[in-house]
Amino acid sequence: MEELREILEGIHPEVDYDSETGLIDRRIFDSFDVITLVGELMDHFDVEITAEQMVPDHFNSMQAIWSLLEELMEE
Amino acid sequence: MSLISIEFLCFCLVLVLLFYLIKGPYQWIILLVASIAFYCFCGPKYIVYILVTATTVYFTARGIEGFSKKRDAYLADHKETLGREEKKAYKADIKSRQKRLLFLCILLNVGILATLKYLDFGIAYFNYYRLMLTGNTNLVLQPMLILPLGISFYTFQSLGYVIDVYYGKVKAERQYFRFLLFVSFFPQIIQGPISRFADLEPQLFTPKRFETERIKSGLYRILFGLFKKLVIADRLSAYVTRTAAFREDYKGIYLLLCIFFYAFQIYGDFSGGIDVAIGTAELFGIRLTDNFERPFFSKSIAEYWRRWHITLGTWFRDYIFYPLSVNKRVLNLGKWCRSHLGEGVGKRVPIYLPMIAVWALTGMWHGSESKYIVWGLCNCFFLILGTEAEPFSARIMEKLHLRNDMFVMKCYRIFKTFWLMSFLRVFDFVKTPRDGFCMIRDAFIKWDTFDWHEVYTTLLFPKEEVIVAFVAIILLTVVSLIQRKGRIADRLLKKSPWIQYSTLAAFALLILIFGSYGLGYDAQSFIYMNF
Repeated sequence: MEELREILEGIHPEVDYDSETGLIDRRIFDSFDVITLVGELMDHFDVEITAEQMVPDHFNSMQAIWSLLEELMEE
Repeated sequence: MSLISIEFLCFCLVLVLLFYLIKGPYQWIILLVASIAFYCFCGPKYIVYILVTATTVYFTARGIEGFSKKRDAYLADHKETLGREEKKAYKADIKSRQKRLLFLCILLNVGILATLKYLDFGIAYFNYYRLMLTGNTNLVLQPMLILPLGISFYTFQSLGYVIDVYYGKVKAERQYFRFLLFVSFFPQIIQGPISRFADLEPQLFTPKRFETERIKSGLYRILFGLFKKLVIADRLSAYVTRTAAFREDYKGIYLLLCIFFYAFQIYGDFSGGIDVAIGTAELFGIRLTDNFERPFFSKSIAEYWRRWHITLGTWFRDYIFYPLSVNKRVLNLGKWCRSHLGEGVGKRVPIYLPMIAVWALTGMWHGSESKYIVWGLCNCFFLILGTEAEPFSARIMEKLHLRNDMFVMKCYRIFKTFWLMSFLRVFDFVKTPRDGFCMIRDAFIKWDTFDWHEVYTTLLFPKEEVIVAFVAIILLTVVSLIQRKGRIADRLLKKSPWIQYSTLAAFALLILIFGSYGLGYDAQSFIYMNF
């Protein structure tokens, strides 16, 4: 989780990732940020994120992103 | 039948009456019959195209879901006997079958759209280059194909649905006629918005009761749309068309005025049409997705494109940009660039390459001429420039002790974005990309030649028209400012009935008095209808 936090803070350091639950819905992350994030996640966690996983629910909070990562790492 | 016609008004009146008389679970059948009838009124022979799209997409979605069910059943039956790798291989096999099915469906439907939209253009280019290069004067005849009504919109909406089924985001619709209604729902068929199945489907089939509030809300929206279209867009089109036609005779402020007016013309035309569509759908208790969010108040190009034609933007984002960005080949290219050309280039490739593709496609979506592709790529260029220049402009602002949240900076950014986007819009109404660039250049020279008298006389845009146009633009801006805090219709509905009905009457009167309609005006054609 800490590694994920570092990646997120590299993109938007001003966000409080512990409490923020609307990264996409509140337009804190735009599509540039999402693609940057996905690239970083794939590199760091050695997972494959596909277009079908690109839904707001998976990226709205640090917890949601972590859950997606856990799911992908299990596969 | 145009959305702005007496015929459409009567059509809706009869329909509303029938819709609420029938009540219950069969109301959607009224909407389906009305949608097919509306399409037939607009050109009966083209119904075959929409039926082909609906049918192929319907069966593809069912097929894809069938494969998913087969996979789940097989995996459940062989839970104990199959190993992890075998399960993975089986899933991959099913996925590849689904992908092939989806690919065929997309190919067919995009093929129909591309043929109808670009064949004539392709033949014209072929003839031109063959003549230039070989001197061959035997021209290949252009079939002069006519685009079926709303083909770009319903094709995108249908493909969005089948891709969502493939992704497992929505379940495939079982009943063909219910799906046909989703594809052909008449208020949105002409120029959108491009709805998502998950948003529209539950609304289409839920029984509705007559609610005065909802009808009033729909009427407000329709009237506001008519105001934008008839009072603003159609009025400004007179000046824009004439100035563009005699572009070489006019420079400086004449062209700046033309560019300024066109920005409001296209906004009034498109968002006005969308308002009429959304308002009409609201009469039947259906809330379509908003397509605009006060785009002229955007502070950057990226923000502008998040607020203009929202449903097309999100369509391209979800079905083109994201799949391309996370595509293995694109990511590998990014990795290669990272190791050979540096971290910066490698990071940008998976973002900028899909972006260029999306903007080229967005341009092509708007039309077959090369000017639209140039327009799309210019937008892309400024988006990338904006992103790349951000650290640089942040440093300058820091040195000047400026912050983005300062009022003056907000105004400057809004002004800059508005004019930049308006200049790019020039490509819409010129003939060639070269004409567009020349017009932008000419707008900055010979400012001293401007004379209002010339506008009133030679350009046939009388003083009264100019005054009404500016007052209407100011009114639109004020309404947009008020809408920052929510929809005006929602607020009006909380006021007394007297205020509500007077507002409706005042708006109707305003349109009747100041609307551009009648002899010499063509309120039938929406600009985006041609896209």
